[in-house]
Amino acid sequence: MTARLPHRAITPGSTPQRFPGFDVLAEADAWDPVTAGVVLARVGPQPPLRFFSPAQEAVARPLFDLILDQHQEPRVPVFEMVDQRLAELATDGWHYGDLPADPQAWTLSLGALDQDAHQQCADGFASCPLEDQESLLRAFLDLGDDTWHGMRADRVWSLWSRYACTAFYSHPWAWNEIGFPGPAYPRGYKNPGVNAREPFEVEDRRAAHRDPA
Amino acid sequence: MRTLFRDGSADRVRSRNESAWLLPAGQGRANEELRATMRTFEDRDDVDAVIVGCGAGGATMAQRLARAGWRVAALDAGPFWDPERDWVSDEAGSHHLYWTEPRVITGSDPVPLGSNNSGRGVGGSMVHYAGYTPRFHPSDFETHTRDGVGADWPIGYPDLKPFYEAIEGELPVSGQDWPWGDPHRYPHTPHPVSGNGQMFQRGADRLGIVTRVGPVAITNGRFGHRQHCIYRGFCLQGCKVNAKASPLITHIPDALAHGAEIRPDSMVTSVEVDPRTGRATGVRYVRHGVERFQRAAHVIVAGYSIETPRLLLHSTSRRFPDGLANDFDLVGRYLMVQGAPQTGGRFADEVRMYKAPPPEVSSEEFYETDPAAPYKRGFSIQTVSPLPITWSEHFAGQGIWGPELRERMRDYVHWACLGALCEFLPLPDNRVTLADETDRHGMPVAEFSYSQCDNDRALMKAAQQVMEQILQAAGAEHVTTFHRYAHLVGGARMGTDEHTGVVDRDCRSFAVPNLLITDGSVLPTQGAANPALTIMSVAARAADRLIHHSTSTPPAHPTVWREHVRDSR
Repeated sequence: MTARLPHRAITPGSTPQRFPGFDVLAEADAWDPVTAGVVLARVGPQPPLRFFSPAQEAVARPLFDLILDQHQEPRVPVFEMVDQRLAELATDGWHYGDLPADPQAWTLSLGALDQDAHQQCADGFASCPLEDQESLLRAFLDLGDDTWHGMRADRVWSLWSRYACTAFYSHPWAWNEIGFPGPAYPRGYKNPGVNAREPFEVEDRRAAHRDPA
Repeated sequence: MRTLFRDGSADRVRSRNESAWLLPAGQGRANEELRATMRTFEDRDDVDAVIVGCGAGGATMAQRLARAGWRVAALDAGPFWDPERDWVSDEAGSHHLYWTEPRVITGSDPVPLGSNNSGRGVGGSMVHYAGYTPRFHPSDFETHTRDGVGADWPIGYPDLKPFYEAIEGELPVSGQDWPWGDPHRYPHTPHPVSGNGQMFQRGADRLGIVTRVGPVAITNGRFGHRQHCIYRGFCLQGCKVNAKASPLITHIPDALAHGAEIRPDSMVTSVEVDPRTGRATGVRYVRHGVERFQRAAHVIVAGYSIETPRLLLHSTSRRFPDGLANDFDLVGRYLMVQGAPQTGGRFADEVRMYKAPPPEVSSEEFYETDPAAPYKRGFSIQTVSPLPITWSEHFAGQGIWGPELRERMRDYVHWACLGALCEFLPLPDNRVTLADETDRHGMPVAEFSYSQCDNDRALMKAAQQVMEQILQAAGAEHVTTFHRYAHLVGGARMGTDEHTGVVDRDCRSFAVPNLLITDGSVLPTQGAANPALTIMSVAARAADRLIHHSTSTPPAHPTVWREHVRDSR
């Protein structure tokens, strides 16, 4: 990887960078080959869809966009990454006694969400305007640990959000957005400590912080 | 018994466990020659001991017994890892380190499994544990007598102390002099502290809470051919450096050099018992799709708190219709997890908690029962440093999504994070049973039921308060706490007799004289300490008893593999 084509740091949706110019992939030369193989595969083409049906895809894509606020390109291919995980049964193995194993829980819960959406939009979740999709998700989350279509809503949320977060925050574009350098072997870190940075790390340029609390 | 020099030369460790010197000195992380020339046994060979599981308990047993001349075959359901080839410096890419076979979780507070509490392959969950290796306190061995809760062990702290010291030398453990429990020192000096540890120290100092750096099983100085830590922060993804201890590098190499066979990819499905003699005859297992049976004079089960009970419950016979060694309905019961809330504090400064190992600084100030508190027992506090996926899941678990989730995560470099370990009590209904569902071998999967008691909940609340106060005192703009669990122990506990335990003080089952259990499942209580060191020490003690005090010790075989040790250097 000596001859490197010039490229710019990508962030999901081309959001303005808090870490200007920070590009995880610019350091890929410093990664061990096994790790580089695993991480770089995420920025390459995704395998063919195998798990979700087209009807499920129509619900899952906008749901992931909603959870991760990805409404414009370039998108981290979260839907494709989750499809791959489920097709390959790369699950955590365990499931709640009152929910089936992950693949079936996905099938059931996407169907249930679409069913809810049909009460507002004739063609289901995919056809709902963004505001309606948001209000459907909010109403679902407001259920807390109540039952939703025979499943505990909080456990379905746990399923959806764990898969969504695992896909999105495993991607180098998301790392660019949050200032995380990704793989660190065999390089390691030489400057730990408060406000200490490595040469390849970039200072957060936020001046005054908005307190979300 | 002070066996180490502070400079880490560790000559006396080498004389009893040569593992660190058997690792490659230069490139590579696994001694390929030692593995390629490993002694192997036939299924029909009556080995002295077959061990089920090569994690903290099983690997320690294998090394001790092999050194004593026993012919040992140690089976593991997962792979024989090579850190260089098989592990990555990446969070999502490390999913294969976890036990992800199907399991069902139930109860009023079901405990998710997989990532943080179950391992797979040689080295077990110590491959991906943080690296904290505190001792239990003397009080942990008699919580019933002292506090009227939990259980008393059939052994006391003094019984385990020499084994703690031995294992601390073999890992080796680095840290400041330890003032809590039984005060002691560590063989290696403390590691430097990163931003996250500095925030903990700053907040705790302002509140007058004592902290210490360590104890972590990461070498800090020369120790055989182990490489120095590079502070890359991926301890939970398997240490590619060979700096953080796991049995894969601390005990397996010496076991191989002394003629033990490590047989990976071997899923044990039952322990067989001779109906005439009542003794265990060996284990049935599946390797590469073929069912096989390994004969053995001793069967030593070390599959950890979920798989050990599952295996015993599945090993039924006319003599044991309800599962092996389960005459008194104790197998699978008294399984414990620790309440492990994590508190994040967001600072104006950049903390960058991903730099340096997550295990850095601890406090055991709240470990013991506080007579003024409305609960018994206590908790410890330690730095933890979740990587981005885990961190985002924490927020999502609080119902945060969309733009707010993205915004919180853009603050990632500003967060510091502390974790507590709360001593949840052993309760009989927190247990493993067999579910109707089966795995790909057709074996029923484990159902793990967990429900907290009032004391557990009170401890979690108290720990949360203290952690939030510490981070606020350090200057955090905002604090938030995530509820979670960590670690597993119990499920086949030791007791004074067969009415109180599955195994005796030496880890021998009461029901079958040549069946031992030497993993975390034998622990009757868990303290507020990470269990790895105690599991290894209990196994080392059980091995010592088996070798030196057993009435049924098989004849020692000459250690012909000594030649092999010299050749492989």
